[in-house]
Amino acid sequence: MNMTVVNHHLSVGHIAIGGVASASLVLIGDSETIQLASAFDTPPESLIIGPFPQKQNNKKNEEKR
Amino acid sequence: MSRLSVVHLLRANAVVFSSVVQVGDSQHIRLSGRALAVQRQFEYVDSNEFPLAFPIFTKPIPLSPVDHEHVCRHTLHDCPLIAVHSIRIIGVSSTSVVHIGSTKNVEAESRVKHIRQLTERREQHARSRRSD
Repeated sequence: MNMTVVNHHLSVGHIAIGGVASASLVLIGDSETIQLASAFDTPPESLIIGPFPQKQNNKKNEEKR
Repeated sequence: MSRLSVVHLLRANAVVFSSVVQVGDSQHIRLSGRALAVQRQFEYVDSNEFPLAFPIFTKPIPLSPVDHEHVCRHTLHDCPLIAVHSIRIIGVSSTSVVHIGSTKNVEAESRVKHIRQLTERREQHARSRRSD
């Protein structure tokens, strides 16, 4: 396969980025191969309802009284 | 394949955890990062508590295959200049790249495990809900 790429003038004014995270790429230019992989695991324990919501309930009960 | 990168202003607040900010050409970029984030309701720190043997840190991640078909590529730099006036970035984290210029290969792998530990007071909570 034949391919011809002509790069003309590349001009960037202003870029504002909040965050680039977890195997990400911001590229101004060119590349041949890009391989990005990210794995994220959070166990179901994160769903345990702790005492913090309970305090809110107590406040509601006080309001009722 | 080389181009001239001209950057007037680049402001990055934080570049952390195996990340790269590159101005100019590069050949190979290979990044790897592993993170274990433990959040607790009560302050307790023990660095030997969790061995880094969770499956997420060892399982191979299947990468998208690179096409090895021979491509006859001709790149003509009519204007071999990359001009950037300003870039403002707050954070670059966990094997990420901000690259101004040409590159050949980029490989990045990030593995993050989150553990949150809260106090076990579910029964009490259920009882208070029943009384409501």
